[in-house]
Amino acid sequence: VSENGMLAPVDHPLTGPFWTAAGKGQLVVQQCESCGELRWPPLAGCPECRSRETSWVEVAQSGTIWSLVTYHRAFQAELEADIPYSVAMVRLDDGPYLVGRLAPDAHASIGDRVTAEFAKVNGVPQLRWRAEDSPAANGGSDGKA
Amino acid sequence: MTTQRNPIAGQAAIAGLGHTKQGELPGHSAEENAVDAALLALADCGLGPGDLDGLIACKSVQGQGNDVSVGQLLGLNLPYVQSLDYGTCNFSLHLAVMAIATGMASTILLTYGANARSGRFDFGKPMYGADMASAAGLVHIAGRAGLALARHKYLYGTTDEQFGMLAVGQRQWARRNPNAIFRNPMTMEDYLAEPYMVEPLRRPDVTMISDGGAALVVTAAERARDLPHVPVYVSGIAEYAGVRGEHNPENLMRPWLRDSAQAIWARTGLKPADIDVLYIQDPTAVWSLQMLEYYGFCGIGEGGPFLAEGHTLPGGDLPLNTHGGQLSESYTWGWMHLVEAVRQLRGQAADRQAGVPEVAMYCSSHGFVKAAASVLSTSQEVGA
Repeated sequence: VSENGMLAPVDHPLTGPFWTAAGKGQLVVQQCESCGELRWPPLAGCPECRSRETSWVEVAQSGTIWSLVTYHRAFQAELEADIPYSVAMVRLDDGPYLVGRLAPDAHASIGDRVTAEFAKVNGVPQLRWRAEDSPAANGGSDGKA
Repeated sequence: MTTQRNPIAGQAAIAGLGHTKQGELPGHSAEENAVDAALLALADCGLGPGDLDGLIACKSVQGQGNDVSVGQLLGLNLPYVQSLDYGTCNFSLHLAVMAIATGMASTILLTYGANARSGRFDFGKPMYGADMASAAGLVHIAGRAGLALARHKYLYGTTDEQFGMLAVGQRQWARRNPNAIFRNPMTMEDYLAEPYMVEPLRRPDVTMISDGGAALVVTAAERARDLPHVPVYVSGIAEYAGVRGEHNPENLMRPWLRDSAQAIWARTGLKPADIDVLYIQDPTAVWSLQMLEYYGFCGIGEGGPFLAEGHTLPGGDLPLNTHGGQLSESYTWGWMHLVEAVRQLRGQAADRQAGVPEVAMYCSSHGFVKAAASVLSTSQEVGA
């Protein structure tokens, strides 16, 4: 079990496919097989048409920051080393809203265009957002080895 | 049966109130705190446990203080007993009014008790197990509330000084309330000097968890008139549940608060200008900002300038959370807002009495899924 295993539901049947894809650098969300609606966060059925038939589909790794906060206090021991860190709510170009960490060395504001990158933190893939005009770090490094 | 616009108006009244000391009560269970408050509420209206025919217990966030645990300590078998999972007292009050209106019960005790502070409950821990948001580090209510405030600032230009009027104003009221946990002075300079906790929120923008119990006795209007205090009638109730949750677009802005607002005004025939004293459940000050706007006390996006004008402060024309709210008085899951509303309507609020109010309103919510509002009045005609 990874150190942030309590916070990241990597083994949960509902959310596991996200982490598996993230480990391969892919951004996936649920899609209803009946009405085609893209769905986030994961849910056992479609709230639009009530179908339970669901696939995971890859979406574009780009969007716009809808809102942004910066934590100056760690509310869990697992987060202590990350302080200060920022969390963004991003509206994906493909529709759904996705929450994710801002890359540690990135600066961004609400309304900025961002792209996804995936780092491994204690063996668990972590989705991070980076403003499109800010330089990428050495991507994919084990940020907290 | 013809449909009345507001069939419950004036049918039930709050007759008794009670609460424990708020703060840290080590060695007292949640149930004991609930029952201590309940006995005070019964004494307040000159009744005993044997006069009750209903009990509605509100469980704490930790799931304590349900109807069975409270009923056992009170030693009661009753015709109508329920537990609610939702705090704020509004949901309990609404259920009591419905039980009275349908004849299920006529004199109902509402209880809440918690020991989350001395019990060291971890509010930063994901409450429903691991989830996608906490995997990103979005933990504690300050994270989601902070996202909502940051968006509000981006859209409308709301400033720290404007938003800070909520925390600073609550403290001004709390300084007049001997029951408040935070009574030390806090000027705007003091507030702005506080570091960000989850930017754009500072520590004073978020409640501190406390132990305590609170209780109300709600009874049929004709019974209330025979009891010692001026009856505080329930003039209107409304709820709206946005239980699609995060599958609502922009759910952090809690857009369904607007639906509860439309319902309460439509049912009661009242408008914001009719409200003499206003109560808004405020685990974070963001809730007050949102509800001032959605309930129409100012326009959408105009909360910042409205607060800066001082309407909600002592001496203002819209006294807000005259006990200090959850930011300065105590957490108590919003129950003390209704206790204080009743005190103001009775004229019992001593140094913080806001004139001679006739109509009070309480707006509350359950996290990111539920909205509720109540209008109370010393006049049975209001809302009818």
